[in-house]
Amino acid sequence: MASLSSDEWRAICDKFTNAQNLTEVESRNDPENDPFRSKYKARELLREIYCSLKSFEVSEGEEDGGGESAGLRAAKLGAVEYYLGVNHVDTEELSAGQEHLMNCMKLLGRCSVSSENVSLFIHVRNQLGILWAGRDETETAQGFLETAESIYQHYMKEDGSPPTDMTEYFTTEEKLLTHQERTKRFELAYTHTMYYLAQVYKNLGQTERAATYCHSTLQRQLQLNQFNPMEWALNAATLSQYYITKGRYMEGRHCLSAATVISGLAGEVPSEATENERREQLRQKRAEIARCWIKYCLNLLQDAKKLLEDNIGELDTDRQDELKRARRGEEEEEEKGRKSALLFGSEDTFDSIASLEEKVRCLFPLDFTEARAVFLVGQNYVTQAKEYFQMDGYVTDHIEILQDHSALFRALAFFEEDLERRCKMHKRRVDMLEPICTDLNAQYYLMIRRQLMFELAETYSEMMDLKLTLANRQADTQSLDSHTIKKFNHLCSASAKYFQMFLDSLCSPEGKVPEHLEEEVLRPALVARFRVARLHSRLISSSPSVQLDNLNRSLENYKYVVQYCETHPEAATTVETELELSKEMVGLLPLKINRLKARMAANN
Amino acid sequence: VMSKNKGSESVKVVVRCRPLNRKEESNGPAGGIVQMDLRLGQVILRNPRASASEPQKTFTFDAVYDASSKQRDLYDESVRPLIDSALAGFNGTIFAYGQTGTGKTYTMQGVWLDPEKRGVIPNAFDHIFTHISRSQSDKQYLVRASYLEIYREEVRDLLDPNHGTARALELRESPDTGVYVRDLTSCVCKSIKEIEEVMNVGNQARAVGATDMNEHSSRSHALFLITVECSQPGPDGRKHIRVGRLNLVDLAGSERQAKTGVQGDRLKEAAKINLSLSALGNVISALADGRSGHVPYRDSKLTRLLQDSLGGNAKTVMVATLGPAPQHYEETLTTLRYANRAKNIQNQPRVNEDPKDALLREFQREIARLRAQLNHRKWRSKQKKEQVEGEGWERDGDEETEGEDEVEVEVEKEAQEYVKLEEQRLEREKEAIREDQFLLAEEKQRLLGEKERMMGDLRKEQEATEQLTAKYKAMESKLLVGGKNIIDHTNEQQKMLEMKRQEIAEQSRSEREMQQQMLVQDEETLELRETFTSLQQEVEAKTKKLKKLYAKLQCIKAEIQDVNDEHVRSRQELEQTQNELTRELKFKYLIIENFIPPEEKNKIMNRLTFDPEEDQWKFQPLVPAESHCVFFLCCRPRTSCFWSWT
Repeated sequence: MASLSSDEWRAICDKFTNAQNLTEVESRNDPENDPFRSKYKARELLREIYCSLKSFEVSEGEEDGGGESAGLRAAKLGAVEYYLGVNHVDTEELSAGQEHLMNCMKLLGRCSVSSENVSLFIHVRNQLGILWAGRDETETAQGFLETAESIYQHYMKEDGSPPTDMTEYFTTEEKLLTHQERTKRFELAYTHTMYYLAQVYKNLGQTERAATYCHSTLQRQLQLNQFNPMEWALNAATLSQYYITKGRYMEGRHCLSAATVISGLAGEVPSEATENERREQLRQKRAEIARCWIKYCLNLLQDAKKLLEDNIGELDTDRQDELKRARRGEEEEEEKGRKSALLFGSEDTFDSIASLEEKVRCLFPLDFTEARAVFLVGQNYVTQAKEYFQMDGYVTDHIEILQDHSALFRALAFFEEDLERRCKMHKRRVDMLEPICTDLNAQYYLMIRRQLMFELAETYSEMMDLKLTLANRQADTQSLDSHTIKKFNHLCSASAKYFQMFLDSLCSPEGKVPEHLEEEVLRPALVARFRVARLHSRLISSSPSVQLDNLNRSLENYKYVVQYCETHPEAATTVETELELSKEMVGLLPLKINRLKARMAANN
Repeated sequence: VMSKNKGSESVKVVVRCRPLNRKEESNGPAGGIVQMDLRLGQVILRNPRASASEPQKTFTFDAVYDASSKQRDLYDESVRPLIDSALAGFNGTIFAYGQTGTGKTYTMQGVWLDPEKRGVIPNAFDHIFTHISRSQSDKQYLVRASYLEIYREEVRDLLDPNHGTARALELRESPDTGVYVRDLTSCVCKSIKEIEEVMNVGNQARAVGATDMNEHSSRSHALFLITVECSQPGPDGRKHIRVGRLNLVDLAGSERQAKTGVQGDRLKEAAKINLSLSALGNVISALADGRSGHVPYRDSKLTRLLQDSLGGNAKTVMVATLGPAPQHYEETLTTLRYANRAKNIQNQPRVNEDPKDALLREFQREIARLRAQLNHRKWRSKQKKEQVEGEGWERDGDEETEGEDEVEVEVEKEAQEYVKLEEQRLEREKEAIREDQFLLAEEKQRLLGEKERMMGDLRKEQEATEQLTAKYKAMESKLLVGGKNIIDHTNEQQKMLEMKRQEIAEQSRSEREMQQQMLVQDEETLELRETFTSLQQEVEAKTKKLKKLYAKLQCIKAEIQDVNDEHVRSRQELEQTQNELTRELKFKYLIIENFIPPEEKNKIMNRLTFDPEEDQWKFQPLVPAESHCVFFLCCRPRTSCFWSWT
């Protein structure tokens, strides 16, 4: 401090503190009609600081060789430029802001990275990243932020000591920060770099990279203990949904386990004041996490099913054996992956996260026992989620959970070899969905009811097929006993009933069939018609007149599918197989009907 | 009548344009850019910056109202049918949509004190209560009103006295009634005056809660909800309840609405970076937005509350408001395009008959219960009286009328009489005891005390009956009976006048519809007509057709021109950029040629490699073994270059 007396220096420090205070605290109370009053005041102060430093530099330059290094002087001047830049950006003067920030870059360009200035190196690039992203120049923003990232990594590798914070440039010695505080601020700046990069990649459409950076952001929040537990947990749980839709179950499971463990931390600090409201919120968020877990289990089961399915939707045992043989390698892979993956957790949470992960596998279940284990975990979360999302008050959510539960049963049934028990699983689905479908107000829950009707129809139809296979196995073919026939007919008509209900829900209040089907119901509606036709032709009856009735109704529905596709050619592509079969049946059924009629006439 | 037969009906969209204000008039001679054809329901928009030959943009709506239109016209033609159907048990919604300052509030509220300038809301109030007062006396009505606003995704009850401090309300769902707002205040209104009062209270709460009214109102949506329950004996003799719900919605200014979208589009921001880490959730949920996952963030509150009105169970009228000033061309065009799209939303309105949650039913039950209690008391008092009569104290020979309406009067009278009698009896007994010389003094005292107690009991009973009666009366007063509770001051002539006015409105509406249809059919017939009686006719017809097609052609050409212009503009921009870049490049070359010796240049060139991953040129490290420096911040020419040049 050769030419700058300590008094002068103290004045500069005071001005700086003042400017910081104006920017961060006072500005919040600025009136609406003068929203940047405090920021403008802060700007003036910063300008004054800049001038003092500048004049000091000139005099210093003549003397040459003062107390502090030229590098630190440049950094200080750069910091003022940085604050001026941020100030201009905040007050919506972007080009001026950019100029100041670039001045800062220029000043820093003369120095090499050191613990004295690395913080500024990163901050200024963060700000430039924000600035350019705001102008839709995402690539430019990306450039700045990625440089910030590599500067951080390089610094941590080469040096790693707690760097000076920019505010320290303008504090008197007694107010310097502790090492801990320095590290905290520096790391937070880098967390922001990660976070901004996540957004930049998202805007560039690079979802995978974006997810990785979101993941890193979460990880860093946790490590540095800068997070709100519930918010963090919900974010981690949401991120898991990204992973599971990409088939990355290990990462998904890790996110979910961490979410559950961290959300537990939130419950340990209940505040007295808003006790009730807060508890309610905690309950809701935990239920949301449970729902994310349900999706994990469901997707895992469904993906495994897709992998093991043959072309008629049954378990392909060859494929099963093949996959089981490949399993060993996969397990090793998992172990390796687990070591290299981005792991969450601090010392005290690490173990609980890991033990939670062990409760459910992230490899595809290959047989019933493995599938059942996944199913049970999912079912457990169904119970948890339903505790909060009750029917009364959360109709849509509650039903979505029930639909997931039903889907869990459906996926599990695929792995079940015992047909009797498989049938019982489908019965459970019917039992949970049927009462709701009838209770819901048809006006307000049209969409949900349609989904439920369709699912119920399909479930009954599946049960019917199972019963038939069972009966055929036991008895000689063609000779079903009356009890089985009764059961079969019951299931068959129940399925047809729900398909018909679905179709009726598409009609106008006066019961008119719509001439044009909306796009989102086009396929379901035509498929339902096709299925109704099929079901009617399968009903077993000894009375020829009832048979005739059923066949006629069947023909009617097949005809509808064919005719609709004729008048609406664009529909044909959505129901190719069904249309082909319908066309065939429209040709064949009349023959059958005529034969039956002839037989009836002959008998009379 | 026609629309009621159809199962689904589109959202009705009407457009209204406010007059130029003085400031805009003085701005230039250009005048308005909006022209309206009231007969055809068309809006013709002129681009103030385009040449005169460019065809104007035309939009067709259910109705249009120009600067000279009256509030009454808009109400009678476009809103009245909706209110009528709400009274018949449908759900109805009216939206006002448009840029701030185009007259949304004037259209919805208007000037309350001036009958000519009253807006949709006061006219609707008037309409509802007039309807009730003129309906059959076998109908019972219950009218309730709620008022809420949605500001920054929080639902606030404007009728809550602690509006400012109360916490945000939650949306809930019930299996019977769908989405509702939990704990929302709902006021029973018995007259226009009362419902206006409710509206005023809410408006004040809205103004008080906001620090900056303009900013606030352009960002908050206000919803005034009216529920009209009507009970009427059906042919089966049982009482049937129909519930009509009416939502009057003042949307936030369209300049912001266009971005958020009423149809539930997620808020689409520019590529702006969110600075606060608290928004990390938004970033993540945007990534996880998939069909098979669960994303724990919900739709906007407005969308959930009005999901019935947009593609659901409601009849919906949307009033889009425009400003005619040339400087608002872009906004006006956006509003018109948005309104045009809204026409395609299909609703499936159904009558809400006998819903389980009807409050009217609850009221009727409560009243019946109270009445039963009163009757019971009456019966008891009668019995006691008969006992008394049996003892022969006094005869009273009046007969009861069982008419239910007079029940309370009856009971009161009865009770008073009974009390009087009892009191007299007790007094006499007391007298008798006192006069009885043979009784011991103690015994006397005891008997007297007993009698006193009996008197007290009697009084208590009387009080209870009075309370019950009061409660009963209060309950019943909330119900409005058709043609009874509200005195209709209008005389027959006025009624006739109103009827006529409605007829006229109906007429003009159907006329417009017919005109629009005619226009369409005209074109069709022209194409169909192929046989001509004479050459002359053929020439005429073909000329006409040619003219039509020519106009169409011009329109399409203009569209093409628009697109072309845009392309040309962007091409010019690109060219300019290219020129700049070329200039810069030349400049750089010049520097290189003049300042950097060729051998230096070659050295540098050899060190340059293209890094395809980062999409930029990079220097290879001078000494490979050295720790590679990733960040080259800037490259300054070496001073040695200067030496060699000089």
